[in-house]
Amino acid sequence: MSAPYSSEASQKKRRGFLDPRTKIVIVLLLAVFVLGGLGGSQMRPVKTVLSALPFLLLLIERQWRGFARGLLILAIGYGLLFLMPYLPAGLSYIALMCGGIITRFVVTIVMAEYLLDTTSVSEFISAMSRLHMPQAITIPVSVMFRLFPTIREEWQSIRRAMRMRGIHPGGAKAGQVLEYQMVPMMTSSVRIGEELSASALTRGLGAPVRRTNICRIGFRLQDLFFLAGAAFVLVVWVLELCGVSLW
Amino acid sequence: MKNEKRLNGRDLINIGIYGAIYFAILFVVAMLGLIPIFLPLLAVLVPILGGIPFMLFLTKVKKPGMLFILGVILGLLMLLTGMGPWPILTGAVAGLLAELCLKSGGYKSAGKAVLAYALFSMWIWGNYLPLFTDYEGYFAQRADYGQAYIDAVQKLMPLWMAPVLLAASFICGLIGGLLGRKILKKHFEKAGLA
Repeated sequence: MSAPYSSEASQKKRRGFLDPRTKIVIVLLLAVFVLGGLGGSQMRPVKTVLSALPFLLLLIERQWRGFARGLLILAIGYGLLFLMPYLPAGLSYIALMCGGIITRFVVTIVMAEYLLDTTSVSEFISAMSRLHMPQAITIPVSVMFRLFPTIREEWQSIRRAMRMRGIHPGGAKAGQVLEYQMVPMMTSSVRIGEELSASALTRGLGAPVRRTNICRIGFRLQDLFFLAGAAFVLVVWVLELCGVSLW
Repeated sequence: MKNEKRLNGRDLINIGIYGAIYFAILFVVAMLGLIPIFLPLLAVLVPILGGIPFMLFLTKVKKPGMLFILGVILGLLMLLTGMGPWPILTGAVAGLLAELCLKSGGYKSAGKAVLAYALFSMWIWGNYLPLFTDYEGYFAQRADYGQAYIDAVQKLMPLWMAPVLLAASFICGLIGGLLGRKILKKHFEKAGLA
């Protein structure tokens, strides 16, 4: 840790297991097939394998906390589904609904969190520019993903501050709660965003020249492996649409 | 002259900032949508609450293209959250309509801004389209939520709700736009943000 700072060395150490483009492909597959529920009975085994992917990736990247949390939530979801038949009628409907929703959502959320935690904004932008995505899309999207955690934090602290003044659901009128929570939340988010924008513009974001950066991205063997897997998923889906039965 | 019409880095970052706030509100409301009663109410609540950040956003919009880009990006984010490809289409169309409306007001008219937001709000209708275009298939996919959930949603969302929801999102967009104007005058202009 005491070695002099070298951006190249730190970048080398930080280089992720997968290229950002591969991660995005996996997120899209999960969102469309697992979360969106596309595909019929033939896709079931494929979906099971897909659902395991984010957990595998978290282990490879040694994100123990994310792995444990994802697994815990998944266990709660399946626990609810398992308990469901033993509960009284009204409660069992709720358990079934919550269980169904949790087990459907959690995998994609875990994968999206993995993508956000292991990809820096620079890596994302350079991956997108290699895909020839227009800047009009990549700049707003990267600003949004940078701001989401900030907005959440701001919102939480403003809610706490307002609760202290007795402004919370049940304590004040709904309109008041809304106004006194949303206005400060927006004001501080916009101010933070403007500072961000000044700093990004200084570093040449949106300038009419091609930007360079020190991120090392690019496809390696593992990327090819996962992309081949993704292509396989699509092939299975198309075959199913054509009515070919595989297993 | 030509250069001033083009979007620069600051405009694109502004799309990101306000888009993030709008999406955060959308996300919180959409979580409520998992409860069946709130599913049709999404077309009411999101346009009303989203009006506050959106009217602030419109004060920064002075060039063509920004609303269209925001519409497409919201559609892409909905694809990522599992709503399918429809919102990209409705986002692009609603963004374009809002764009034309705002342009006809010269990017200054407050009334046109409210109308533009109402037109933009109609993008949210795309989130219901997977339900209405494939009524049977939608519920077959959600069988694991339990029969009680499906019964409740089917009762709330018969096919004739499709045009009703589109109209609701437009009308609530108008209400949200007016609310946004009011908040804008009361708070943000004083704070020097608008």
